[in-house]
Amino acid sequence: MRILGIETTCDETAASVVSTGFDGRGEILSNEVLSQIAEHARYGGVVPEIAARAHVEVIDRLIARALKNADCTIKDLDGIAVAAGPGLIGGVLVGLTTAKAISLVTRKPLMAVNHLEAHALTARLTDGIGFPYLLLLASGGHTQLVAVRGVGDYVRIGTTIDDAIGEAFDKVAKLLGLPYPGGPYVEIEARKGNPERFALPRPMMGRAEPNFSLSGLKTALRLEAEKIAPLTPSDVADLCASFQAAVVDMVVDRARVGLRAFRDIAGDPKAIVVAGGVAANQALRDALQRFAVETGLRMVAPPLALCGDNGAMIAWAGLERLRLGLVDDISAPARARWPLDSTRDEAGAKA
Amino acid sequence: MRVLAIDTALGACSAGVFEAGDNEPLARETIPMERGHAEALLPLIDRLVSHVDGGFESLDRVAVTVGPGSYTGLRVGISAARGIGLAAGIPVVGVATLSAFLAPLMAGDSRGLFTSAIDAKHGHIYIQAIAFGGKVIIAPSLMSYRDAIRVLGSGPLLIAGTAAALLAAEARAQGVEAHVIEDSPAPDIAWVARLGAIADPANALPKPLYLREPDAKPQDGARIARR
Repeated sequence: MRILGIETTCDETAASVVSTGFDGRGEILSNEVLSQIAEHARYGGVVPEIAARAHVEVIDRLIARALKNADCTIKDLDGIAVAAGPGLIGGVLVGLTTAKAISLVTRKPLMAVNHLEAHALTARLTDGIGFPYLLLLASGGHTQLVAVRGVGDYVRIGTTIDDAIGEAFDKVAKLLGLPYPGGPYVEIEARKGNPERFALPRPMMGRAEPNFSLSGLKTALRLEAEKIAPLTPSDVADLCASFQAAVVDMVVDRARVGLRAFRDIAGDPKAIVVAGGVAANQALRDALQRFAVETGLRMVAPPLALCGDNGAMIAWAGLERLRLGLVDDISAPARARWPLDSTRDEAGAKA
Repeated sequence: MRVLAIDTALGACSAGVFEAGDNEPLARETIPMERGHAEALLPLIDRLVSHVDGGFESLDRVAVTVGPGSYTGLRVGISAARGIGLAAGIPVVGVATLSAFLAPLMAGDSRGLFTSAIDAKHGHIYIQAIAFGGKVIIAPSLMSYRDAIRVLGSGPLLIAGTAAALLAAEARAQGVEAHVIEDSPAPDIAWVARLGAIADPANALPKPLYLREPDAKPQDGARIARR
């Protein structure tokens, strides 16, 4: 089975072809990603209209390249999967409309995939793990603990009550004058710094509900920074290290609480899975690995290339859905908001 | 040459299948709408092409309006056109909405300054003007009504487009003779097909013609001073 996956929900245009191997796991035949970082850098964040403009310029050529690098043609595909949300609606419409057009001409099945679901199922593509598992989904736009019980069967256990983790990393980077997008630069600085120099709060620690909060931590960091400004390079490194340590402590505490909630909802998990752009953070991966060992569970984190937005995860989610007969048609709506555990028949956005 | 023409740039969701040179379309459908093009377009194309012998495989090219118009609308049309072109293995050409309004004026019997004008909101229009004989008076641009009248000069103006009535009123208010030839909310899909059939795919790329920069300002942010 070979599936084309298309992703245009934020600031990467991506297309990929994924097939199933003999053991049922996925095999990525091609994975093309065009990042728009350079176009958004001077604005210090993703500008929706600029993102939409960039997607439409390259989408068809990128799909053609993904097919070519997978050594196949559109005729060889068994279906077309596309992220129909959640995300920036202008970009979502570009990918979704392109996918619908290809599906219409070829009469091949269309899978309108939830972008979050694609992140959630990536660990099955890479490691073939079974259900259920506890997922920490952390990116620039999302921070959630989810009980993944099956394809299309997700229960959100906790979420952030303000900023997403990746968003907080990016805001801290901006505050400290690090390049855009800041998350990876905060991590680089943190490696050089002293995590104990600034006593930053660990928001939500010890709370019974496995939710997250980042905005108080970010404010605390700003106040510490303002106290000692102007900042030397080692101040910046220490601030980053202290911030990252606080986030990691909070995440592990929240995962521990989330695991208890998971057992009530879904029984014993097969693994703890981390996904999304923030899953690329090595300190976080290491801490979750220690937590997993402590609880006797397996920890699965996707390879770095599959942490950020990509087409392979969309193709794989489409493949999982197609195997279960979960297909959509050309009336599938684009959705700016689309909670993972919502039913699929909510009203879509109008163009 | 058999052309699938698509227009979702302005106040309609419109498509048609035309055989170049024929007067009657093989199929066409136009639904007036301000919003909802994304939901309406593919089902509409599905209906049309299912009435055409040979279906998608019989098409030779896709022509799509590239704007100026609604940013979202024109991206929906272009994405669909490029997707169809990719899947069917046929070229896709872009047709400017301003040209699609101008062409029928220039093919008519009236003489004057052929002008197409599309509402760009906030007191502005997207405009193109060509004199009888073919001299370009205004290349596709974004202008205020007042500036447009100043450049257009003494007329008589023959105007088509969504802002035709407003531009004509502004012209008359300044003593310039002006006639509204066509003020439908979207170009005639048959003209999109005709222009698409004669366009050179190497030049008429299916790229958006926005005529306006995205509304975004660079930020310096609340950055803390560094040594």
